Amino acid sequence: MAAAGGEGPGPEAAGGGEELELTPAQLIRSLEQAWLNEKFAPELLESKAEIVECVVEQLDHMESNLKRAKAGDLKVSVHRMEIERIRYVLSSYLRCRLVKIEKFFPHVLEKEKSRAEGEPSILSPEEFAFAKEYMANTETYLKNVALKHMPPNLQKVSLLKSVPKPNLDSFVFLRVLERQENILVEPETDEQREYTIDLEEGSQHLIRYKTIAPLVASGAVQLI
Amino acid sequence: MAGERAVGLVRELQRAAGGHLPPFRAEELRQALEEMRALYERNQADVSEAKAGRTDLIFLIRFRHCCLLRNQRCIVAYLYDRLLRIRALRWEYGSILPNAIQFHMSAEEVEWFNRYKKSLATYMRSVGGEEGLDLTQDIKPPKSLYIEVRCLKDYGEFEIEDGTTVLLKKNSQHFLPRWKCEQLIRQGVLEHILS
Amino acid sequence: MSEAYFPVGPGLGPEENFLSLDDILMSQEKLPGRAESSLPRLAFALGQGAAGGSGDSIPEGSKLEIPMWLAKGLHDSKRRIISVELPKIYKEAWRTVFSADANVVDLHKMGPYYYSFGSQLLNFDNPENPEIAQTILQTFISRFRRIMDSSQNAYNEDTSMLVARLDELERALFRAGQKGLNDFQCWEKGQASQITVSSLVQNYGKRKFTDMDS
Repeated sequence: MAAAGGEGPGPEAAGGGEELELTPAQLIRSLEQAWLNEKFAPELLESKAEIVECVVEQLDHMESNLKRAKAGDLKVSVHRMEIERIRYVLSSYLRCRLVKIEKFFPHVLEKEKSRAEGEPSILSPEEFAFAKEYMANTETYLKNVALKHMPPNLQKVSLLKSVPKPNLDSFVFLRVLERQENILVEPETDEQREYTIDLEEGSQHLIRYKTIAPLVASGAVQLI
Repeated sequence: MAGERAVGLVRELQRAAGGHLPPFRAEELRQALEEMRALYERNQADVSEAKAGRTDLIFLIRFRHCCLLRNQRCIVAYLYDRLLRIRALRWEYGSILPNAIQFHMSAEEVEWFNRYKKSLATYMRSVGGEEGLDLTQDIKPPKSLYIEVRCLKDYGEFEIEDGTTVLLKKNSQHFLPRWKCEQLIRQGVLEHILS
Repeated sequence: MSEAYFPVGPGLGPEENFLSLDDILMSQEKLPGRAESSLPRLAFALGQGAAGGSGDSIPEGSKLEIPMWLAKGLHDSKRRIISVELPKIYKEAWRTVFSADANVVDLHKMGPYYYSFGSQLLNFDNPENPEIAQTILQTFISRFRRIMDSSQNAYNEDTSMLVARLDELERALFRAGQKGLNDFQCWEKGQASQITVSSLVQNYGKRKFTDMDS
């Protein structure tokens, strides 16, 4: 089979500018990685819109191949099952992101607002539109039903202050994909001092998310 | 004690476990807002007295302000948590809610729900090619393409693929494409039978 | 439990979450206090109307019972108008009981927000704060083991006895353990992929039947 979706640009390599063609197997693996990371990270991760786009193209491609296949061909049901499984992972991934967007919407939008030019966005354009509508809808609702009937000095409630932030101190399990040296670990108790650790490739750890968040973003570790 | 009505709303909601949506308490909400208005007015009057020399009233003013903030917090938290429950309904029932549930919602909540539904639909149409991707489906990983289902109530004609239909009659059993049945199972029309 | 309902959880440590129903109900719990000066026009507001007989004012030195949210709102380290005392379960006598055997205490009856209410007490500059914090932490550590074990071993049985003496935080922990156990058992029996009726639908369904019966 040709690269993802046949024609069209493949997903960009993380960080780098040049475009990278992925085989369908690599594409599905990167979707699965993004999915697991998103499932276990306490905060919303960077949007992988290019991967999503390519997987969607890949699914369309497989669907149209299936339509051309003869009915009753055993291969049809195997391929159909493969489509179902990929669609499940894709849906689960996007669903997980929507849940986090709804849970943290004021913080997600704030982060997007303060994003520097050229820095990757944590939201796809569609997610950004969704988050903005969710915020406006909720603010309008609270204002109309309650806040505007309150005394003048109490008519404002900052959703940014009242909707809780993601807890970056929560602990996550991870597997190391690329060896890392001198990772600074903050003390957990008053008696402890900060110390550094090395992460060997293939080793697994239980660690505070905050400590390794940049490594999740760069793809050096996989949350499990 | 001030704030009792507002905290009563919160208490009732918290008792409705598992995301269940109790009836919207419009009257209690109105009374809590009324209490806030009264507290605020009395404070305005006492602020004038305090400025005129009654500094012993400052503590009382502070007390009322605490009560106002408490009322505000309880009311907003009550309304917000209800929105979270209403949001869950969209994911568990689909976009059309049974009357029994709509009956528990205020007009403004229905409006919020409709807007939420619309945003979600726009989002789902924008991902996943031509037809979009229905994210409220595929909640569990697939094991097989077709599944055995039993019909729990009379539903009528149901289209499966390419115009073929089956008649879903109470207690009838069928072998159907999984992705077609998921929503009906979650709505309690069909039951997934494991072989 | 509805799988699509994600309520705002309680805050961590001395923080409260503004929108958390748990935190609101926790901060409704009362603690003992004392009026450090005379408080005009407050007796009725604080539910002390009948006492004292001095009209609507609270005389200096009166004992009060005020909810946590109010104690926090009125707390002022410079001018103490109301002083706050420790509820007895956080006092030294009870701290000794906890350090002897934390497992014997009925934290539901004594709480039911023992940990979160205790963490809130740290907001008042009480000289005993370090001891309170230490006791809360130790109590959790010594009770944790039993809660985890019982939540992992009670499959398909009535758990009301097991949770009766647990505080709200511990109950949440117990439920999390039970959910893990049940999900694992489902997976082992090959039921994990079974599509099931939404729990919300189930609830409303039951309701409808009872409505029709009555």
